[in-house]
Amino acid sequence: MPDFDADKVAHIHRELHSHLPSESALRIKALETLLVEKGLVNPQTIDAWVQAYSEEIGPKRGAHVVARAWSDPEYKKRLLADAPAAIDELGYLGKATAHLKVVENTPAVHNLVVCTLCSCYPFSILGIAPAWYKAAAYRARAVRDPRGVLAEFGVELDADVEVRVWDSTAELRYLVLPQRPRGSDDLDEDALAALVTRNSMIGTQRDLGAKRRG
Amino acid sequence: MDGIHDLGGKQGFGPVDVDDGEQPFHADWEGREWGIAQCARTPGITIDWWRHCRELILPVDYLSRPYFDSWAQTDFATYIEAGWITLAEVDAGRSLDPVEARPEPPAAMTLEQVLEEDRAHAYRFDAQIDTPPKFEIGQAVRTMAHGHAGHTRLPQYARNQVGVISAQHGAHVFPDLSAQGREIHQHCYSVAFDAAELWPEAKGSRDKVFLDLWEAYLGEA
Repeated sequence: MPDFDADKVAHIHRELHSHLPSESALRIKALETLLVEKGLVNPQTIDAWVQAYSEEIGPKRGAHVVARAWSDPEYKKRLLADAPAAIDELGYLGKATAHLKVVENTPAVHNLVVCTLCSCYPFSILGIAPAWYKAAAYRARAVRDPRGVLAEFGVELDADVEVRVWDSTAELRYLVLPQRPRGSDDLDEDALAALVTRNSMIGTQRDLGAKRRG
Repeated sequence: MDGIHDLGGKQGFGPVDVDDGEQPFHADWEGREWGIAQCARTPGITIDWWRHCRELILPVDYLSRPYFDSWAQTDFATYIEAGWITLAEVDAGRSLDPVEARPEPPAAMTLEQVLEEDRAHAYRFDAQIDTPPKFEIGQAVRTMAHGHAGHTRLPQYARNQVGVISAQHGAHVFPDLSAQGREIHQHCYSVAFDAAELWPEAKGSRDKVFLDLWEAYLGEA
C-alpha cells in the first residue's frame, strides 16, 4: 500500500530532479530496465499495449460510433442517453469510458473538450490524446479563450453560436458528436466514418466533409 | 493544492501547436511509457493518489518535460514510495538486488489479452448512497472560495463562482479523500458557468464552461 504521504513524494521528486538521466528517452529506458530486472514487468506486455493503441484502439472507434449515430436515429438516442452502453454495443467500452457523455453539436451550439487539471481523455474510443491536448497552452486557454483556440484550428464561429467548454474535472469523459456533413445522405456507415476526424470529436474541428483526417 | 498543474485560465503560453499529425506516439519512449503505466501499478494505488503524485512534480519539471515523461517521473516516485525501487537504483540505472535473487518477470500478455484488459479497465466510480443529492437541476450554486493543500478537482478559476446545476451524476468517489486512500462516495454534478462571469474579457459572451464538481465544493448561491 502507498503511504499517501505527499511530503515524502514531494521530497522524492526533488531528488529525482537531479538524479534522473537528462533526456526523456533515457529516463523511460531506465524505468523499463529497472522494472524488468525487478521482475515487475514483462517487456513483451509493453509491446502489446503499444500495438493495441497503435493499431486497434484509436479515433477510428469514435468515428464508427459517430457514423452509427448519424445513420441510426435509435442508436443516437441511446448514445446520448447512455453512452457507455451504446459504445459497448460496438465493443468499444474500456479504459476511461465507463462514465462517457456524448455532447451534440447543433447549428446553435459548439462543444469543446479539455482537461485543465491533468489531461483526462476517453482512451478506449479515441486512443492516445494528441500532443496539443496535453500541452499547457491548450489546457490553459480552452476554458478562457475557446474562440481564439478554435480560430487557431481554423474554426470560425458566428457570434450567435454558443460555445460549451467541458472541463473534465471528474471521471466523466466527453465525446463531441459533430454535425453530419451536408451532401452525405447517400453515404453508408463506413463512408461516413471516413469523414469523421479525431479533432471533430474533441471539438477543435466543426465542419466535416473534406477528406482531411486529423 | 494550488499547484502548477492547475492551468485553466493561465496566460502567457502562446498559441496552441495544432500540427500534431495522427500518430499516437511521437517517439518509441512515449509508447514504452504508455505500456509501463498500463501494466506496472503498485498495489493499493488510486487514480487520485497517482494524479496527486504527478501534481507534486517540481513546477520547472512539470512545465518543461513532455507529457509521457511526466508520467514516467510520477511512476518513478510512486514506485520508490511503494518500495519497488530505490533512489540508489535510479542512480545506478539497474537493480541492486543480487542476480540470483531476481524474480522471473510475469508472463507476457498477448495483444488479445491486452485488449481484454483494456475492456476490464472500464472502471466505474459511482455507487448508491443513502443520502439524497443536496442540489437539483437548475439550482444556482456557489463554489468554495479556497482549496486545500492536498489533491482536489475544483480548479482555481472556478472558485467562489456562481454556476447552475445542469446534471446530477449520482455519487462518485470523492477525489480529495481517494488521494488519501479513503473511498467515500459523494454526489457529483455538472455545473454550468457563464464565461462572462468567469473571465473579465468575456463580457457579453453567451459561452459557457461546464465542470463536474462534488457536493463538498458547492454551497447555496
